[in-house]
Amino acid sequence: MKYGILALAFFLSACSTAVPVKQKWPEAPKELLEKCQALQKADPSKPAITDLLKTVVENYGLYYQCSLKVEGWNEWYTEQKRIFDNSNK
Amino acid sequence: MWQLTWMLGLLPDWFWALVLIAGVLAVLASFVLKFIPFVSTYRLPLQVGGILALLVGVYFQGVIANEAKWEARVKELEAKLAVAQEESKQTNTVIQEKIVKQKEFVKGKTEYITRYIDKEIIKKEEIVKYIETCPVPKELIELHNSATEMNRAAEGAKK
Repeated sequence: MKYGILALAFFLSACSTAVPVKQKWPEAPKELLEKCQALQKADPSKPAITDLLKTVVENYGLYYQCSLKVEGWNEWYTEQKRIFDNSNK
Repeated sequence: MWQLTWMLGLLPDWFWALVLIAGVLAVLASFVLKFIPFVSTYRLPLQVGGILALLVGVYFQGVIANEAKWEARVKELEAKLAVAQEESKQTNTVIQEKIVKQKEFVKGKTEYITRYIDKEIIKKEEIVKYIETCPVPKELIELHNSATEMNRAAEGAKK
């Protein structure tokens, strides 16, 4: 009986319905893979308000550059998932 | 089992069609052409052989049809994947170009504002007076600097 079950399992293993075609998940754009830059510190030896303001402005710039990457990741993932799902329909 | 089917599948398709036709003919001959001496002598072996050939022939016709169906499915999927890969590449290019462009814009704007502070703001009399009389306390600068390292504190909190 057990040999019969084993033989049946062996024969049924040939009934695979998987198509031998693999889909590769795409590589993300190089720009998205870069790390966000660290925020800049104000120089304590330059106590002028304009120097502090310049540091703040530069940090805003760094924040927006980083936020563009996050938005880029979201867009990239959404688009690639849509393409991936469409190709599997 | 699939190894056996695979090996037999190496034989050309027309061979299995021939086996099927031979089987049909052998079975028909064993029933209809009984009056021929050869057929009447070997009727039973003809029937058995014919039925076996018929079964094997039908089975391999099924295998061939099934194989053709799967090959068509593989081709269809490969075509779909090629389209998807092309679309994916184009999307990557579009996103890459968009980010580069927007990043350049942000960098340019930051530089513009910084230059504006250096060239225009700093020249205004009231601001010069303010800078001379009201230096930013060191404590505030340190507070600002510690805020720039909030992410390090968060990394420490993760552990």
